[in-house]
Amino acid sequence: MAAVAKIDGWTPTPAKVWHQQHPELGTEPVPIEPYISQSYFELERERVFRKTWLNVGRIEELPKPGSYLVKDLPICQTSILVVRGKDGRVRAFHNVCSHRSNKLVWSQGGSCQNFSCKFHGWSYNLEGQLTFVPDEENFFDLKKKALGLTSVSCDTWEGFIFINFDSQPQETLQEYLGEIGETLKGYPFAEYSAERYSWSTELHANWKLLKDAFQEAYHVAFLHKRSIPDSFTGKSNPFAHGLDYKLYKRHRQMSVWGNMEHKPTPVEGLAYRSGALIIRNDFSADHLPPGVNPTKDQGWALDLNVIFPNFFVDISEGSYFTYNMWPLAVDRTLWEVRNYFPKAKTAGQRFSQEYSKVLFRDIIMEDSSTLEQTQKVLASGAKTHFVLQDQEILIRHDQKVHEDYVGFYKERPQ
Amino acid sequence: MSQRQFPEPFADLESLAAWALATETQRARKRRDSTIGEIRAFYDAILPRMEAIIDYLNRLPLDHMPDDAQRLLHLTLALAEVAPAVELFNQPLVTDGYDPERFIPAQGQ
Repeated sequence: MAAVAKIDGWTPTPAKVWHQQHPELGTEPVPIEPYISQSYFELERERVFRKTWLNVGRIEELPKPGSYLVKDLPICQTSILVVRGKDGRVRAFHNVCSHRSNKLVWSQGGSCQNFSCKFHGWSYNLEGQLTFVPDEENFFDLKKKALGLTSVSCDTWEGFIFINFDSQPQETLQEYLGEIGETLKGYPFAEYSAERYSWSTELHANWKLLKDAFQEAYHVAFLHKRSIPDSFTGKSNPFAHGLDYKLYKRHRQMSVWGNMEHKPTPVEGLAYRSGALIIRNDFSADHLPPGVNPTKDQGWALDLNVIFPNFFVDISEGSYFTYNMWPLAVDRTLWEVRNYFPKAKTAGQRFSQEYSKVLFRDIIMEDSSTLEQTQKVLASGAKTHFVLQDQEILIRHDQKVHEDYVGFYKERPQ
Repeated sequence: MSQRQFPEPFADLESLAAWALATETQRARKRRDSTIGEIRAFYDAILPRMEAIIDYLNRLPLDHMPDDAQRLLHLTLALAEVAPAVELFNQPLVTDGYDPERFIPAQGQ
């Protein structure tokens, strides 16, 4: 992008430039129907969540053989058990006993030597094999070897654990992630995952409404005018125009500008001086991989990386955060939010991380209430389409990717 | 006379001891259950002492602090918790924000 003028660290981009680069997306308003339609939701279950790679955790959650985590996934009508075996390998299984299909492990995670079903005591080892059946001689032709836990495809990328319910995934995880996975490789995810803060909430909104809210910055100047009045907006960039947008086959990225003239509050100033923050203007980005701060701009704040279908890995220099949006119903979503930091070595760094985390949490409280208010009127019929501007191109791209998977409009008689 | 809560150089902060809470959940609840006046009083009392507190605590091993220093650290974390209330929203909770009781921190957080 040729520089037009450089003011306050912001290089203005020509209006509507991003859609010009992607004429295949069109510029028309996009339909609301996918956000409120029960039949669309059922198709998402079958064609998106049962067919794609889904992030369910990080490798640090499984530090040693016997470590396991459990994830209930109502959208896939199951619960999964992810466990590190004696051989060190991480495997995933449906968390379902082979006897009469009781949910095998009820806790959310922990460490053990084997799994024993509380219903009738059937036991499995860490590799999912059935090892013990009480009163075995009363069963008929019991083939224990064939009665292990039902496995689910499982792989990791940069320490993130993904599963795929497709018994024969069409692509490996690496192929599925493609270029965005390659360009983010090398960000110090392991080092930056030492301190993890998590929240979850059941939001009364369609899961795509959540995704949309976190893949544009147009709202920042308005919705976040109190919480971050001048961090991502400034005199020369009043509407938080992005530094860069990248659209991949199914994933996408927005690089978010940070105002170098941002005036910290007193406590924020203290936090700056005491340790790393989400927004820092004084770092060198030289050590970061090509996919982080892709324009290598000094006025870079963070990148939004949206991994289809429901995983965000949003990266800044001193921390990163993730979102997982799990649909519960067409108008309800379980939203998991995690904020990761490097290990705090001093009290000052601990304080700084706490400030950063609390501010981040408070900011998304502004987003969350808005999403529920939107959902309340979404099905009113008052509007049939969303009107999108150039800087909301990620939302448009996401709708196209959804339709590519779901085929709702393609298959419907016109 | 109750026992001293904080290291000796910070004896002047004893009246703030109710804010020295160990978890984010507790600190957020204290923020929610306080008036903006009470929050501001805490903020105004601790802010001028923060540089000295951080200097003092930075000399101690973060994972093995004496109890009184640990409580002082928790007090600084309470400042981080209430800072947005004072500096951004001018009320205890986020303006037009989501119900914090529904935004559930991980167990023990």
